[in-house]
Amino acid sequence: MLELRNISLELGDKPILKKLNMKFEPKKRYTILGNNGTGKSTIANVIMGVEGYKPQSGKIYLDGQDITNLSISQRAQLGITIAFQENVRFEGIKIYDYLTLGGKIKKSLDDVKKALKIVGLGEDYVKRYVDSSLSGGERKRVELASVYMIDPKYVILDEPDSGIDMMSIDTINTFINQLREKDATVITITHREEIAIDCDYSYLICSGIVLKEGKPAEISEYYKSMCDACEHPNEIQLIRDEVI
Amino acid sequence: MRIAPDYSKEFEKLAEAYEKSGGDTSNLLDKRVASIIISGDKVIGLNNIDGVEIVAGKQELGVWAKIRISKDKKIPMPIHLCTGFLGKEGEQRVNFEFIVEDGATVNFISHCSFPWSTKLTHKMTAIVRIGKNATMTYADAHFHSEEGGVTVISDTHAIVEENGKYKNSFELTRTRVGKLVVKMDVDLKEGAIADLESKVRGRADDDISIKESLGLNGKEAHGMAKSTIVATEKTHARIVNEAFGNAPYSKGHIECTEITKGADVDVATLPVLKVTNDLSELTHEASIGRINSRQLDTMMAKGMTEEEATEFIIKGMLS
Repeated sequence: MLELRNISLELGDKPILKKLNMKFEPKKRYTILGNNGTGKSTIANVIMGVEGYKPQSGKIYLDGQDITNLSISQRAQLGITIAFQENVRFEGIKIYDYLTLGGKIKKSLDDVKKALKIVGLGEDYVKRYVDSSLSGGERKRVELASVYMIDPKYVILDEPDSGIDMMSIDTINTFINQLREKDATVITITHREEIAIDCDYSYLICSGIVLKEGKPAEISEYYKSMCDACEHPNEIQLIRDEVI
Repeated sequence: MRIAPDYSKEFEKLAEAYEKSGGDTSNLLDKRVASIIISGDKVIGLNNIDGVEIVAGKQELGVWAKIRISKDKKIPMPIHLCTGFLGKEGEQRVNFEFIVEDGATVNFISHCSFPWSTKLTHKMTAIVRIGKNATMTYADAHFHSEEGGVTVISDTHAIVEENGKYKNSFELTRTRVGKLVVKMDVDLKEGAIADLESKVRGRADDDISIKESLGLNGKEAHGMAKSTIVATEKTHARIVNEAFGNAPYSKGHIECTEITKGADVDVATLPVLKVTNDLSELTHEASIGRINSRQLDTMMAKGMTEEEATEFIIKGMLS
């Protein structure tokens, strides 16, 4: 199990996460829902151990092991990975090499083609490059395929629908189901309730805290009715904090 | 191509060096492929085919060669140039003149191999004349010794006539550089196009100096000069990319990327843009610094160490 216990993080002088507690059990599908600017991507960076996102207090545990001080590489080697929201491009690297990490992971050409097919890309992409010749949507799909290739235990998908057209939400769901067939826990970060609805458990984030958690349908309904119209989620939560 | 019996052993050694630099020796011996093989101050092999005339001879400390491609000829297979120096110390001077006549098309593959030289100065000058509607590409790969004692001084002046096309790539990424001084300037006439690209990886105390210059002198001339340098350890690098917009509707772009890795690197880049015609457009991009952190994070999140991720990304940039 992946667990965040009392995580607090400030960036600059600004508190971003406040005594956050979250649990992710093996082989389940989670959604972290919330408006832009509420701290969702920060949670992803904290879990992954991205430089500059080490919490000031609190611990992160993976199967009982404290991983708070481990590097990104070390966490990835334990089975945690992420598809970042913004996907960078790599000059001179073919998609085949990108997906096999230059031969570091031993997978066949058929495995590569299968991963590409799952994300809706044809076999011809094997020889293309992960550079600016790919559109934003193509690049996003390649990133998802690369996540599939490494057989992770815990996958964070940070806004997987960004850069992909609306029609492709089915592709995202197919992709997530394929990951679950590999017994991966999938943590999807999104602000779209139609993606959030199809999961086992949801967290709703507001102003760096878990505002609500529980059944996806209830959380999505709450989000839709309360948060969609809310222009100042952070301020509202600050007021709540003061009152409480 | 036949190698003179006197030079057969020298050719064997040179072929070994040629293969080290990524060349395929079978091309040098293929009668259908025009080629020239230079070892030190000798021409040890030369093959002409229909449409290609190579004449060459000895000069002080080296070789001169004049390569002419006949008018309207499309040369089907690349012309191979193999330049080597088998000794440990010395100096080699090579002077090339390339003449691509109007309407001709030709590709060159050049390999310069000095794998055993510990103290060598290789000086190369080239004059390139590309005729109207002619096309020439020139891919130059270098392979030096690991001692770092090779000095390469390369000076190329190219003139591309009306609607001609010129593409030049220089690569020195697999071995130590030693000291490298590359100067290249291109004079582009009306509708002419040039694409210059350099990729160099510096190690230890390698010293890299590159100056590429685009003269957009004809109406609608287009040019691009791009340098990618990876500077590690104590590498010293100075890169100057220039573009001069002297004619209407000419367009030029210069780009320099310098990746640094190591506390003692010393790198600089200077883009120079000058317009003397207000209908010309010039742009530049330049960056110096460590590898983009998000690129590193992306690869490390797949289980690569920082070292592995860095090497993976650099290899791509220099490929």
